[in-house]
Amino acid sequence: MRSNLLRISFLLFICTPLAWAAGADSVDTHEYRLANGLKLIVREDHRAPTVAHMVWYRAGSMDEVNGKTGVAHVLEHMMFKGTQKVKSGEFSRLVAAVGGRENAFTSRDYTAYFQQVEKSKLDEVIQLEADRMSNLNFDDAEFLKEIQVIMEERRLRTEDNPSSLLNEALMATAYMSSPYRHPVIGWMNDLQNMKAVDARDWYRSWYAPNNATVVISGDVDPKQVLKTVEKYYGAVDAHELPVRKPQIEPPQKGIKQVQVKAPADSAQLTMSWKVPRLEPGKLDDVEPYALELLTAVLDGYDNARLNRTLVKQEKVVNDVGVGYDMISRGPELFLISTTMAKGKPVAQAQASIRKALDELKQKGILESELKRIKVRILSEQIYKRDSIFGQAMEIGGTEMAGFSWKDIDYMLEKMQTITPDQVQAVARKYLVDEGLTIAILDPQARQSVANKESK
Amino acid sequence: MHALKNAIGIYLLSFGVLNSAYAILPIEKLDSYNGAKAYLVQTKALPMVDIEVSIDAGDRYDPVGKSGLADMTAALMNYGVRGSEGPLNEAQIADEIADLGANIGLSVSGERATLRIRSLSRKDLRDRAVNLAAAMLSAPTYDPKIVDREKQRTITNLLEAETKPEYVLERRFMKSVYGNYPLANSPTAKSVAAVNSADLKQFHKQFYRGDRMIVSIVGDVDRAQANDIVRALLQKVPESGSAIAKLPELQRSPIEPLAQREIQIPFDSQQAHIAMGMTAVTRNNPDYYPLLVGNYVLGGGGFASRLMAEVREERGLAYSVFSYFAPGKDTGIFQAGLQTKGDQAVLALEVMSSTIAKFIADGPTPTELIAAKSNLINGYPLRIDNNRKLLDNVSSIAWNDLPLDTMDVWTKQVEAVTLEQVNKAFQKYLAMDRMQIVVLGAKK
Repeated sequence: MRSNLLRISFLLFICTPLAWAAGADSVDTHEYRLANGLKLIVREDHRAPTVAHMVWYRAGSMDEVNGKTGVAHVLEHMMFKGTQKVKSGEFSRLVAAVGGRENAFTSRDYTAYFQQVEKSKLDEVIQLEADRMSNLNFDDAEFLKEIQVIMEERRLRTEDNPSSLLNEALMATAYMSSPYRHPVIGWMNDLQNMKAVDARDWYRSWYAPNNATVVISGDVDPKQVLKTVEKYYGAVDAHELPVRKPQIEPPQKGIKQVQVKAPADSAQLTMSWKVPRLEPGKLDDVEPYALELLTAVLDGYDNARLNRTLVKQEKVVNDVGVGYDMISRGPELFLISTTMAKGKPVAQAQASIRKALDELKQKGILESELKRIKVRILSEQIYKRDSIFGQAMEIGGTEMAGFSWKDIDYMLEKMQTITPDQVQAVARKYLVDEGLTIAILDPQARQSVANKESK
Repeated sequence: MHALKNAIGIYLLSFGVLNSAYAILPIEKLDSYNGAKAYLVQTKALPMVDIEVSIDAGDRYDPVGKSGLADMTAALMNYGVRGSEGPLNEAQIADEIADLGANIGLSVSGERATLRIRSLSRKDLRDRAVNLAAAMLSAPTYDPKIVDREKQRTITNLLEAETKPEYVLERRFMKSVYGNYPLANSPTAKSVAAVNSADLKQFHKQFYRGDRMIVSIVGDVDRAQANDIVRALLQKVPESGSAIAKLPELQRSPIEPLAQREIQIPFDSQQAHIAMGMTAVTRNNPDYYPLLVGNYVLGGGGFASRLMAEVREERGLAYSVFSYFAPGKDTGIFQAGLQTKGDQAVLALEVMSSTIAKFIADGPTPTELIAAKSNLINGYPLRIDNNRKLLDNVSSIAWNDLPLDTMDVWTKQVEAVTLEQVNKAFQKYLAMDRMQIVVLGAKK
């Protein structure tokens, strides 16, 4: 599939084919399904003698219920607190002993664990990871200490971080019923009232081979990997997963606005619109691709529209960022986030954003703007292959959103076919007030100031 | 699972074979050009190339009262140049970079300014990216209108940063640990306001010259192509220039009573932030390896480290706690830190201090030493397994004047470290009665 993509790139760069087009990609990625339902994807990359091993569980904060927000992430922490065979903390010590780097992360859509090791150490980390898929066994004392750590994490990342507070308020305002309205780390009060049994229930519900995808990338022999994965992960029993309710967000019927007061110097403004995402099985939907390209036209490089007009010409904002991700399990927002320039009111920034969007809606975008974005997308496809870990991340994230890794190249090809008119059309259709949520950070002076230090 | 518990023993046995298991790519010394040294690692698997120019023009050269000048000199290089085919404004530069599918990044640390290019290796694309970078290195325009705009943006960012606990802590810690050395002075709204276009031109002219530059290249180019890249990059850069005043010596953190060394900053954040540290060593110091291995045990080894065990795992006091050495071409610092709920600051500082003190006094246990070496040696391939990481290594080797076989002998150097060396090195360079301490936002 990659060769197709590169062929397109020649047309854009120049019209002569090149030597580095050779080398089909589909042969070096392999997919298997174990009898217990576990999916294994192996990406061969033999440039260096290292390997990334990841397990992705399709259970994230969107699967939580009221009063227990944050439990997906709490369990992620507890996964390092021992199994029937490996005592608390020992997992990390064993991975460290083989020279491994390891960590884990939780999102709205999934929870993932990974180790990066020299290739001869792969079997050891597979054995460890497979063990904690079904044998987790932490005691209450460990939970009571770790929940304190997690509250410190929330203080660090959210309570003392005005941008995070603003984003939390935005999500809780934009969504009425979708579980995307809750922060991944959970509300502080839910963390204060979390019990060890809540984490254990979560584990028993969602941690099963039939809810997991293992992604291994690097200098490996896929057949050998399959054998090892079958030996260790294959021994874990499947079980029925809880029913997932759709919890579809009802359509928004007009502007929503929320204000957050927090210690800061500059005001911030985020405007966000409800937009569609790419649905599995509907890869030919034009709109999500057009929205991705719209993101880049507005903010994809230093001279992109919003940076040029708002930051450099009008000097109304100090920074601007645009966000949209067309693949996810839940609903999507198209976000424009700004920090005010000194002395500029939020209303002026909002007017400038609206003006820039109106111009795009009325006059469309230039073919040359879009071509520039498409070239960047193509070159990024080469650059991303420099990272073995990055490739495993891309495969896992795509699978968790309900797509196949095989769709990645198709999506990228599809992106190259989008026209300026299609980008203009999604801006006209979706960047409208009916689906708009506005969040404003109202900066407050700190009650104590830094020059009052004492020895 | 019993086998796993014996893992450490098994992997110790494999130390010796690791180096011969695969070849580490060699660093080639390229032709020096215009006073600059240049180095290459060839990697052919992907059709891309990473190029870095390090310039001896870091923050430590900021003149008194104009902190931020070095940063702005680098950051504004891509906002207007006189190119080989006439002037290019910021929009034209940004469009050209985007059209090439290339990335050009500019950054400044205490010691050096860095320009990095990532490009597809195809000659026509690569040449255009290199030409653009060459113009930035030799002929940035520093248009006063753009300078004013960027100064205002920088000041706005600084005022925002001053409301953030981590920034206020770090700035105050730098002041404490660097004493009379220029890095003690962080940029302020006032110092940035004092910078003008003429200052930027002057600083660029004075510091951005061949004899203060090193080029490192990693990727899909051969030696001849790499030499061409170096020449194209530095063609218009002057080889040398007027003498630059010598920086003051970084004085070792002095022995002081605690009351002199510990600063309390009131701050109404939920968490207190704590920093502790002192001056340490250069990267080319032979004691670098004992300190690296020892610090893995103390606070560098993630969940395996003592600080993490004492502060987080045993007591649940913090999410993040760490220690590191930041050695450079010149003497760098040792720093440890954590964040904790305001009313736990006193306890957390006590635990951190006593953990560090005990480690300096007694060093690691034999088991800890083995675990540290096992991790560092077995994990070494992960430090060099892609072009980006190779570039980081080549650049560090070149900048710090390390032997060109540093990557080849790295695991042997770690393997050779003894308990006694770790103990001696920690006692030689660190001392509790010299540690500068800053505590922000503690509540009684």
